[in-house]
Amino acid sequence: MRRIGILVFCVVVALLIVIPPMANGYYRSLFYITLLYVALAYGWNVISGYAGYFSFGQVTFFGLGAYVTAIVVTKTPLPWEIGALLGGVVSAAFAVPLGYLMLRLRGPFFALGMLGLARTLQVAANSMGITGGGQGLFLPPGSNALSVYYWTLAIAVLAFAGTWLIDHSAFGLRLQALREDEQVAATLGVHVTTQKVYAFIISAAIPGLLGGGYAWYLTYVNPVSVFSTSIDLQAVAMTILGGIGTVWGPLIGGVLISQISEALAAQYPQAFLMIFGGLVVALLVFLPRGIAPACAAALSRRRARAKPAEART
Amino acid sequence: MTLLRVSDLRVSYGAFKALHGVSLEVDEGEVVVIVGANGAGKTTTMKAIAGLLRTEHGEIALDGQRIERKNAREIVERGLCLVPEGRQLFPEMSVRENLLVGGQPWRSRKRVRANLAAMEERFPILGQRHGQAAGTLSGGEQQMLAIARGLMSEPRLLLLDEPSIGLSPILTSRIFSMVREINTMGISVLLVEQNVAQSLSLASRAYVIAEGRVVLQGDAREIRGHAEVKRAYLGES
Repeated sequence: MRRIGILVFCVVVALLIVIPPMANGYYRSLFYITLLYVALAYGWNVISGYAGYFSFGQVTFFGLGAYVTAIVVTKTPLPWEIGALLGGVVSAAFAVPLGYLMLRLRGPFFALGMLGLARTLQVAANSMGITGGGQGLFLPPGSNALSVYYWTLAIAVLAFAGTWLIDHSAFGLRLQALREDEQVAATLGVHVTTQKVYAFIISAAIPGLLGGGYAWYLTYVNPVSVFSTSIDLQAVAMTILGGIGTVWGPLIGGVLISQISEALAAQYPQAFLMIFGGLVVALLVFLPRGIAPACAAALSRRRARAKPAEART
Repeated sequence: MTLLRVSDLRVSYGAFKALHGVSLEVDEGEVVVIVGANGAGKTTTMKAIAGLLRTEHGEIALDGQRIERKNAREIVERGLCLVPEGRQLFPEMSVRENLLVGGQPWRSRKRVRANLAAMEERFPILGQRHGQAAGTLSGGEQQMLAIARGLMSEPRLLLLDEPSIGLSPILTSRIFSMVREINTMGISVLLVEQNVAQSLSLASRAYVIAEGRVVLQGDAREIRGHAEVKRAYLGES
């Protein structure tokens, strides 16, 4: 079963490498935006899904990555890829002291704290000279959307593989334990603060790396576009719908939400948000734990039914 | 030889002083029980020893080494593990995952696997239900899992906080025989129990705590025969 899974995964990745250069601009953009949100959802899933710290401010690191790249590209002769890489490194480094500080908060206090942090950085970007203030920064024209696509694909693949590794590792087990009960996990010898900070760094590095690609893709960054709460909300909705704290959840939720919203927007441009909202609510009512856990439960029920049948024959 | 020595331990929750200078000792290979009414400070004592509460004053030494300023992880690594009151499992995680979290202090995967195999052999029901969510086990099985999870860290001293709470008399007896078995493995046990009669028959020494102070201590049999203990905890006149 695992071999088939790996094979399917490799085929899908190969198709994602081969198809976009042949596709037109619209489909290329669709592929890019889908992968961007899938990767963002994976980033959010580590700190919020596995560690249980619900964040409404991971866009902080996305904006940080976008600005670092924009500054590198406009102020130095370095290529955007170096800027984007630096954006990821700066975000991860920023997450260390921030993690020790913010992860003292729990539940709604942490969520609101992170939301406030994103707004603080937005205001800071709005008022600083190096960021171009409210006008933002214009990147050199003639950006290559395909290079941004491959960058994002690489990060999405790494995020998926990283999540699989976390899910199958002692680190993942520690995160799940502290998500369920932090004090009991500490009683058993889990160094909870360190584990939380590690998860937070991973959850910061992923949007940090993606922000740079986004800046290059848009050829323009301003505080409103890269610190937008809706970027976070989309990643949150995708993860919850797909299955929070699971390997497949962000992928399923990300692909499904971006494709459904795109199709609805094309078919019903006036009413698409209303229909889309209704669909999300309906899915959450019927599958409160998300699609991936519901599929896993159905599969294990089927296996359980098959076993006694095999035993009878 | 003294394994755990607690001297003049004081702990406060804000302005409320929970412990006013508790002193106790556990020797190697011994079962010691702490008895007392609700709110006397038993669980606070256990949590402070396990490094989960900041102590205000006093010393805690494990094997002669001071641990009162160490964090919970360092204390577990030194061989002291607390099985908290009310089981406190990770209910959504499977039985096996719960056990594996208990083996966290060990980086060696081989050692954790060996401990896991030993636990599943010692408690076969846990092996049979390894994939089941811990929250779906019965009360007795949950307590068994909580104890097995504590044993995964290879403790020399196991702190058991109210292991029989909420269990039927039959299951309580089973838990007590499990504690006896653990002790025969060479693991010392510090036990907090409301089931005074049974715990005193199991322990070699006992401490009675009231309002954050040790009011009585000594040989478990002597404590069992003490008039005040008989009246207050055993319902005998």
